[in-house]
Amino acid sequence: MNHALLLDGVSKSYAGHTAVKNLSLAVPPGTIYGILGPNGAGKSTTLRMVMNIIIRDAGSISLLGADPERDRSVLRRVGFLPEERGLYRKMNVTDVIVFFAELKGVDRRTARTRAGEWLERMGLGEWRATKVETLSKGMQQKVQFISTVIHEPELLILDEPHAGLDPVNQEVLRDTILDWRRKGRTVLFSTHNMEQAEQMCESLCIIAQGEKVLDGRLRDIRREHVSNVWFVDFDVVSDVAARSAVESFMSTARFGRATRNGDDGWRIELNRGVDSRALLSQLAALDAPVVRFEREVPSLHQIFVSRVGNAATPHREPAHV
Amino acid sequence: MSETLVVMRREVLERVRSRSFVISTLLFPVFMAALFVVPVLLGGGGGERRLVLVDEAPAGVGDAFVAGLTAAGAEKDRSAFTYRVERVSGPFEQARERLNARVLAEEIHGYVHLPADVVASNRVGYRARNVSSVSVEGDIRRAASQAVQGARLRQAGLELPQVASLLRPVELQTRRVTERGEDEGNAESTFFLAYITGFLIYMLVFMYGINVMRSVLEEKTNRIVEVIVSSMKATHLMLGKILGVGAVALLQVGVWIAIALVASWQSDTIAARLNIPPNALSAIDVDPWVLLATLGFFLLGFLLYAALFAATGAAVNSEQEAQQYQTLVFMPLIASILLMGPVINDPLGQLATTAGLVPLSAPIIMPMRMAAAAVPATQVLASLVLLAVAVGFFTWLAGKIYRVGILSTGKKPTLRELARWLRAA
Repeated sequence: MNHALLLDGVSKSYAGHTAVKNLSLAVPPGTIYGILGPNGAGKSTTLRMVMNIIIRDAGSISLLGADPERDRSVLRRVGFLPEERGLYRKMNVTDVIVFFAELKGVDRRTARTRAGEWLERMGLGEWRATKVETLSKGMQQKVQFISTVIHEPELLILDEPHAGLDPVNQEVLRDTILDWRRKGRTVLFSTHNMEQAEQMCESLCIIAQGEKVLDGRLRDIRREHVSNVWFVDFDVVSDVAARSAVESFMSTARFGRATRNGDDGWRIELNRGVDSRALLSQLAALDAPVVRFEREVPSLHQIFVSRVGNAATPHREPAHV
Repeated sequence: MSETLVVMRREVLERVRSRSFVISTLLFPVFMAALFVVPVLLGGGGGERRLVLVDEAPAGVGDAFVAGLTAAGAEKDRSAFTYRVERVSGPFEQARERLNARVLAEEIHGYVHLPADVVASNRVGYRARNVSSVSVEGDIRRAASQAVQGARLRQAGLELPQVASLLRPVELQTRRVTERGEDEGNAESTFFLAYITGFLIYMLVFMYGINVMRSVLEEKTNRIVEVIVSSMKATHLMLGKILGVGAVALLQVGVWIAIALVASWQSDTIAARLNIPPNALSAIDVDPWVLLATLGFFLLGFLLYAALFAATGAAVNSEQEAQQYQTLVFMPLIASILLMGPVINDPLGQLATTAGLVPLSAPIIMPMRMAAAAVPATQVLASLVLLAVAVGFFTWLAGKIYRVGILSTGKKPTLRELARWLRAA
């Protein structure tokens, strides 16, 4: 499979500090991919290496099939939104967008047309000729986002795109990203917000202290991290005999450890080697109606905490290159 | 390279569209014109001064004084004052109080006292509400001196007109010798032109250099630069900015030159209108080659300093931090300004020749020398070549600092760190 982005053993260190260590990951084309990690994990450094803003110390990067360090032209097919945003404050909105489009090789007339369309779409139509400095912060972020996508890149790289956005604008951003994905394009974004990643990503990579903790498709990651914990609910409200039968079964259980989960529910942590099917057949024999038998699926946050644990201590970015 | 053009275009458009550019482009010629016109208008306007002469001096001195003073107004142009003198006889102490009252009542402008011992004491009194008018006091001093000198000469048995004709100063006729022969011009107009040229180049290099630095700093502090350098090489970005700002500078200078050309074409009319000697402006009729070389020096000088200013902007994080490093860049510029005096005094001397060859001072010194004297073409050429080489070197050096500096944030780098950037990049 041709990957939109392929990192192999990429490392970067600053004086006395390793920012990214031997990082490998693969972003499949046409997906939404998340890089997750606590602050200072090396997310921004990784994205900046991909964009050839900083030079890696070791490893190889294949961006849309090319090494951005050797073939800069590939960067024209990528849209990049850096973590810290900024625009020319004294320029007018349309001119700023057209400027960034032209840098990516879009001719001026096309850029102007597209800028108008995007501004309309983002609800900024009437602001097209005003100076950037007169816009609110949220509006400026929209303008910056338009500047990132104006050349219709095949790959969109967004560094902490949700940071500083109000809920309405977060929604706008989410819709735009999903729309981008529907057009068959690839989106790669970094975040420390697990919920956002869970909602949007198909694949992801978790890094901490510059090292990869795990990566892959979200579905596969979840499957790998399912625990041997099961939830069982009974319908025994009016049946005292059935209730006491269930209670004595749970208290004398040899299959694992059972704890109450609500009125008529139980959380069962199965012992190693015990098959869930054996448990289910024993439960079925209890003469109490089972209304739920479900395996616990960990949230991304739980997976993250279980894997990263203490490593999540935030680190500051170094001051100088 | 097309990205460099995009950057350049943005720099040009954003600047040319700004109100400050339009204002400064139009205001400067007005300012220069004012420099010619205002002194004439201020010194002049002329008008009548009503004075009272308290005459206690020996016979003849008072008459000579009044004659001299009224003649002073008549023989000069319309910008001078004319005088109406009312004579009262002494003693001075009696008249004094009344005269002071008349001055305060603005009946008269002031009064002059020629004491009885004026020939020996050489002292003449002048009292007025306003004793700061150089030209009125000059006229009084001249008239009184001539009157007193006349009295002394008569005592010695000589007549003033006879002595004046014997002592009249020679008239120095100046001609600049150039390779094309002699050309007109006097010390005043040449000095003026050389000084204006040098100072203008200094001002423009300084102003536009700072412009480049601010522009670099804006992109750095706004983090716009991260987006830009992910589309193009950092050094190309730097080049685009410098060339863009340089194009704006050239445009501005071009407008000024056009205005100056019109002015020089009409110099006789202008000189006549302003009552200045017609050949005072003749030195502005510059040799086109000198003009071209001057433009060359200006352009290369701008490129050299702009590269240094760009590196300064990239290395620091704020305007405050920039001030420390920009002093380093200013120093050679300011040194060149300090050399202006000696260079204009002796434009072909050892100091002028050396300073004209050193690339950091050449952009200011050489055009000044060329305006003041006929500098050998070989020297001009050598200086231009040296300067061009220096521009290449400094741009390369600045590019290295720029490339690392533009993406580094945090504390201000030390000089040692800057040296490390140079080695690393």
